[in-house]
Amino acid sequence: MLISACGGGPHGHAGNGREVVVMAAASLIDAVEAVDGHFDGSPGIVAVVAGSSTLLAQLAAGADADVLITADAATMDRAAAEGLVRGAPVVIAANALVLATAADNPGHVTGLGDLARGDLLVGLCAVEVPCGALAQRALEGAGVAASVDTLEPNVRALAAKLSLGELDAGLVYRTDAAMAGLATVDAPELHSHTNRYYIASVSADPRPEVLAVIDGFTEPGGAGAEALLTYGFGPP
Amino acid sequence: MSAPDDNHTSADNPGHAADADTHTSADNPGHAADADTHTTADNPGHAADADTHTTADTDNPGHAAGTDNPRAADAPAPTVSRPPAALTVVGFVALGLLALPVVGLVQRAPWSSLPTLLGESDVLDALRVSLVVSLFAAGACVVLGLPLALVLARRRLRFGGVVRAVVMLPMVLPPVVAGTALLFALGRRGLVGQWLDSWFGVSLPFTTAGAVVAAAFVALPFFVVTVEAALRQAGDDLDEAAATLGAGAWATLLHVTLPTIRPALAAGTALAWARAVGEFGATLTFAGNFPGRTRTLPLETYLALERNPESAVAISLVLMAVALAVLVTLRDRWMPR
Repeated sequence: MLISACGGGPHGHAGNGREVVVMAAASLIDAVEAVDGHFDGSPGIVAVVAGSSTLLAQLAAGADADVLITADAATMDRAAAEGLVRGAPVVIAANALVLATAADNPGHVTGLGDLARGDLLVGLCAVEVPCGALAQRALEGAGVAASVDTLEPNVRALAAKLSLGELDAGLVYRTDAAMAGLATVDAPELHSHTNRYYIASVSADPRPEVLAVIDGFTEPGGAGAEALLTYGFGPP
Repeated sequence: MSAPDDNHTSADNPGHAADADTHTSADNPGHAADADTHTTADNPGHAADADTHTTADTDNPGHAAGTDNPRAADAPAPTVSRPPAALTVVGFVALGLLALPVVGLVQRAPWSSLPTLLGESDVLDALRVSLVVSLFAAGACVVLGLPLALVLARRRLRFGGVVRAVVMLPMVLPPVVAGTALLFALGRRGLVGQWLDSWFGVSLPFTTAGAVVAAAFVALPFFVVTVEAALRQAGDDLDEAAATLGAGAWATLLHVTLPTIRPALAAGTALAWARAVGEFGATLTFAGNFPGRTRTLPLETYLALERNPESAVAISLVLMAVALAVLVTLRDRWMPR
């Protein structure tokens, strides 16, 4: 398994009957990594992981990929509208935002309203990526004017800065908080703000091994679907 | 630019560094007293040139930049030997590779809407942040880099090779690695950063000051390497003469040494500033991304590419124009033709 974060696509792998190149939203990195080698007769998966909007930009620039998985419907709709994916999108999982803090909650964060405190270092995802768009909606819905210090390009970058203790609080997906070992603070305002992951084939007529990978995510009991459950993603 | 076919061009960048490094290895053992004996062993033409023209060099920026043709001194009318034809072809292919992205950008430029795109408040905010960050970073490079260059050029260092490697590391380090390293050093939980935080309440990450630190970190070697090379090229004969005539260390520095290397000071500052303007990875990793505070033009370009590619092209044009302007000015004024 090769992981190519953000960088150029792994040219030369896709389309030659070998690996299946999966472009996946940053929050899916562990789940996609886990399914590599679990498909019968499949040659393996090359995962390209970045913020969903970055993936679209890479596809638009001609990146060589077989499968796209975005972290929300809006981004997948945009990909379909721009002709970047030809297959019909299918929802495969759900996730939710949580209010996360560094491991020992040094800023003594107790609720979503604390994000407005000027004395805290607060990070959100950039609004271009799904977790940032979701965070913006959640904060607006809760009437919280967050005092933001950084807008990170993807949720993993944000989770990393929280886990390093460089940020006091931020809004990340539940799964990323768990993977990064972040403390979470219950924020009832966030419960209604969930996102759904969509998968689609880049080609209208995908290779059999590409179809196998997609089916593994869309069919209950498939390797991809199981991995998503293992890593804490909700059922679609 | 007439880059690859010109043997002076390497003065701009890493090639320059390599040049300085060559001096380094040769200089370490015997540098103490005189500049000619050991350099001769390493690079005859070069040393002879430096030796005979020390005083003349002071007025010749080309020599100060340390990239003059080694054959100039001992071959009155050097005949230029042509490389094999095949290599010439490859050379021009390489030139095309370097020039192609520029052409690609220019042909996509939305010329008519350029003023509108560049006048957007996001872009103006990023421009302001970029100017503040890059100018402070360039200032820091001069203030910190000049003493460092003097130490490197004029003092015999026990582990000179290692020291120079450390100095040049940011030039070859992936900027994201630089940013990560800065987090572990100067972040709130970092080696030094934790004390900055608990003693002074200073936390650099996610501040404009943090962006300045990130930019200065990657830009500093460009200044130091340029100035150190010039100091070595100029030699210390004049300094010693001044000292013999009774000038103190500060007077010698201000009235003899610095005027001698003025072109290199300007070139080093310009290179460091240009590098600071272009900094992206270390800034994003260490200083984060927030409009009006740490979102510089390169960060704005990166985000715009996903939101409004035309805007990204417009900003890229500006950044490329700035970089080209710096290099062309350097060539015209401070480097050999």
